[in-house]
Amino acid sequence: MIELGTSESLKAKKKTRAEIPKNLEPMLKPKSVAIIGASRVPGKVGNVILQNYLSAGYSGELYPVNKNADEVLGIRAYRSILDIKQQIDLAVIAIPALGVPEVLEECGKKKVKSAIVVSGGFAEVGEIVLQEKIIEIAKKHNIAMLGPNCLGVMDTRSRVDTLFLPSYKISKPQIGGVSFVSQSGAIGSTVLDVVSGEGFGLSKFISYGNAAYIDEVDILNYLMHDDETKVIVLYIEGIKRGKEFVEIARKITKVKPVVVLKAGRTSAGSSAAHSHTAALAGNYEVYEAIFRQFGFTIAEDISDMIYYAKIFDAEIEPKGNRIAVVTNGGGLGVITADDIGSSRYLKMSAFSVETRRALKSAMPGIVNIANPLDLAGDADDKRYESALTAIGKDAETDMILAIVLFQTPGADSKVAAELIKLKDSLEKPMVVISIGAEYTEMHKKMMESAGLPVYDSPEAAVKSFEALLRYAEYRSRFEK
Amino acid sequence: MDMLDYMQGKKLLDKYGIKSVESKYVHSYQEAVGFAGRDSIAIKAISGRAIHKSKAGLVVLDVKGADEIQVAYRKLAERAVKFAPYKLLAQKMSKNGVEVIIGGNTDKQFGKMLLVGLGGIYVETLKDTALRMCPIEKYDAQEMLAQLKTNSIVTHNGAATDMLVDLLLRINKMFVSSSIQEFDFNPVIVRENDYEIVDIRILK
Repeated sequence: MIELGTSESLKAKKKTRAEIPKNLEPMLKPKSVAIIGASRVPGKVGNVILQNYLSAGYSGELYPVNKNADEVLGIRAYRSILDIKQQIDLAVIAIPALGVPEVLEECGKKKVKSAIVVSGGFAEVGEIVLQEKIIEIAKKHNIAMLGPNCLGVMDTRSRVDTLFLPSYKISKPQIGGVSFVSQSGAIGSTVLDVVSGEGFGLSKFISYGNAAYIDEVDILNYLMHDDETKVIVLYIEGIKRGKEFVEIARKITKVKPVVVLKAGRTSAGSSAAHSHTAALAGNYEVYEAIFRQFGFTIAEDISDMIYYAKIFDAEIEPKGNRIAVVTNGGGLGVITADDIGSSRYLKMSAFSVETRRALKSAMPGIVNIANPLDLAGDADDKRYESALTAIGKDAETDMILAIVLFQTPGADSKVAAELIKLKDSLEKPMVVISIGAEYTEMHKKMMESAGLPVYDSPEAAVKSFEALLRYAEYRSRFEK
Repeated sequence: MDMLDYMQGKKLLDKYGIKSVESKYVHSYQEAVGFAGRDSIAIKAISGRAIHKSKAGLVVLDVKGADEIQVAYRKLAERAVKFAPYKLLAQKMSKNGVEVIIGGNTDKQFGKMLLVGLGGIYVETLKDTALRMCPIEKYDAQEMLAQLKTNSIVTHNGAATDMLVDLLLRINKMFVSSSIQEFDFNPVIVRENDYEIVDIRILK
């Protein structure tokens, strides 16, 4: 393993960000991109990457590099990167592993600022020497190198997209504030596809594969300073530089939320432990401890990652843990109240006398004034409006969960529109729970695209509120 | 890694104001009787070759008076032979309380880690423990206790919480300022206003 110890990160600290060799800026915001291995054969990795660049509408200069072609997809191609006269910010390398050192060396000569090696066939299949070789070349020439064995990057604003996934197979997320970092390419592309169906948007996607040179520490360091990134979502299998990771972890959560999913929860602790403690403090437990200690939000599965990203992206500032539930379905209100009641961090609010009075006069006789507040199946936009306006003023409530079951006779697009309107006028944070198929999905999209988070189960909403509160509590330590 | 002698470990704890149960090596049953006085004692055979003292039958609990102590002493000495070299440790019996584990381990990436959880025989069955990287702060200690599912059992009340937070911080200090690699304090007997470490196992 290559040592990228403290001395190097200390040196890096003294430099400004633009000078740090492992800066990701030229990779995510390149003015010019060379695609090495841009094939003329449809379906080949290099061909798909070039095609994706073209269809994503990347506005910088594109230079296909192909040993045997003068033109690829209608663009002039070059035999070698050295034949290109202009400065290259990013080289995407998609050729068989054995040829990578030579090509990377050429990139060095060309003074290319960054490179993404998408090719596999390195340390992940035991080719450690080959991997060491490309690390050496990257270091020698100060090339910020990502990979090998990775999907590369996507930036929704600069429209850089090195993912070699045909566009008909994966939906691309909209522009937003969530940056997603994944060691695994497969998890990465799956989550990207799922995210595209959610209301929140993506800032950057970074798949870093073998982490031979640029690793999670460098990526977190970049994203911490990146103004386009509001929320970081991280999928990792392992951490290479423990001490440096702790250093960045300590800083980053003071600035923005980080959601993490760590694989390998079931891996056994050391069986030859000398003590109970050593047996209990296994690999996953240690990672979990570090994440908790430094305010990361731990996701247990992919759904959790999406839930938490959504609530953090909504930039809600929780004022407390007392929740009011408003519903047009009694049963779901009770289930939600149960979830809140059994949470260690949340509780159901008890409406003040004034709120009860206001609700009493605004609600029809069939509505029992209690929390959860069951507006009944015929509740329309007006009933939601008067109930939520009254609860919005309640001094005993901190956050609101509005349940809308669109299957009921009263709930239609007007209710969704009303909630969107109320989102900004209410003094309290609100999220919505809606469960259902197409008609519901349509309204979910409506509300989410207006910045109102919608969850498809009480459990998901409650978990997300918990995550929000716990992170706020963590941060409040440093604001005192 | 070598195991630190029990009484040396106890001395180290004393230095950091960490309370552990009154203990003494005994070399004859008469010596054990003298140490016990009117109290009940436990006698343990300590050997580097046995991690689970009670499973190996190397612990006799709650014996009192010359006759009982003599019988227990002989029985234990017989069983301990196959774990030689060993020493016999007499300890005053601790009053009832909740058994808690506090331990430390050195992770190859993140360094010293501190652990707390429900202890005694439940350690391995419930695995309800909280872990943090050292050094920990007061907030971390509070969070560790709050994180336990058995929090209400471990801490009883607010006073016990404060006491355990203080204890965790003392142990943290001892751990980070020494060459200790790994340790188990299990059990730590926790009562409403009081605690006592009953078993010390330190590896350097």
